[in-house]
Amino acid sequence: MLDATREGLAGPVKGSKNSETDEVRFAHRSEAEFAGILDFYGIDWEYEPRSFPLQWDETGRVIESFNPDFYLPEYDLFIELTTLKQSLVTKKNRKVRRLRELYPDVNIKIFYGRDFRHLLLKYGLRATTATR
Amino acid sequence: MTAAAQDILETLLTQEQIATRVAELGRDISREYAARNPLLISVLKGAVYFHTDLTRAIEIPLSIDFMAVTSYGSAPAKSGVVRLIKDLDIELTGRHVLLIEDIIDTGLTAGYLLRLLNARSPASLQICTLLDRPRRRILEALPIAYRGFEIPDRFVVGYGLDYRERYRHLPFIGVLKDSALQEADL
Repeated sequence: MLDATREGLAGPVKGSKNSETDEVRFAHRSEAEFAGILDFYGIDWEYEPRSFPLQWDETGRVIESFNPDFYLPEYDLFIELTTLKQSLVTKKNRKVRRLRELYPDVNIKIFYGRDFRHLLLKYGLRATTATR
Repeated sequence: MTAAAQDILETLLTQEQIATRVAELGRDISREYAARNPLLISVLKGAVYFHTDLTRAIEIPLSIDFMAVTSYGSAPAKSGVVRLIKDLDIELTGRHVLLIEDIIDTGLTAGYLLRLLNARSPASLQICTLLDRPRRRILEALPIAYRGFEIPDRFVVGYGLDYRERYRHLPFIGVLKDSALQEADL
């Protein structure tokens, strides 16, 4: 089972490769597909294992946070899948920039909708599964 | 123009550009692997054209071998993991191995192959890829010693690269028209 107290992780773990993928409640179909690809290539993953506070009010209460979609423990890497919708991409880009400013030791990559669509096309899968 | 070539939006790399670069890579490998009798491995089928052209451009003694693995899309749904369809014929222990790839983008396939090959104790293991698309890289720490071309984020086919088993035989590398992708999706 996943060790939620593993170094660098905090907060509740919602899913991992060691869980049955079907039992993880993904927010979107593209995330489930991505988890399937990671499983296929033997890459350990955890789904939204950590929330990074990005903004606080004057009382110190967190008013904005960011939960990257995946964490790959073997590579110490967070991955955020993005939509094909430009307004949401812009918002996520801003969050990732802020996360990098506040947590410079955290490795995170954005996997854009277009990249994911092409990845699925490479595998001969329908492009529609890549959109959200 | 062949029927397959009609589906190409634009040529990204001409036959001549590929040949020139492959010859350069062959010279580099000949120099750097001199007296090491390298074993050049590729995975069927995408890297076959590159592999055969590259090995003929190398002027030192070498060995070649091939392997085949299932790809994500070809495997039955939820089958779990990569399956080795054809294993290598040559023993890797103590050999200087070059993994020949057609393209590296996310690095997931290459990462899997490196784990598989490293477990067989080669003396060294490096990658030679014809195309590198770093924009989509997920796994960064790959020992890419030789790269032919860095390419932009376009869907490319030809010179071994396919879309649903089509276009591999094109002698150049081109960007596939969206209409060809959409057609195949129907």
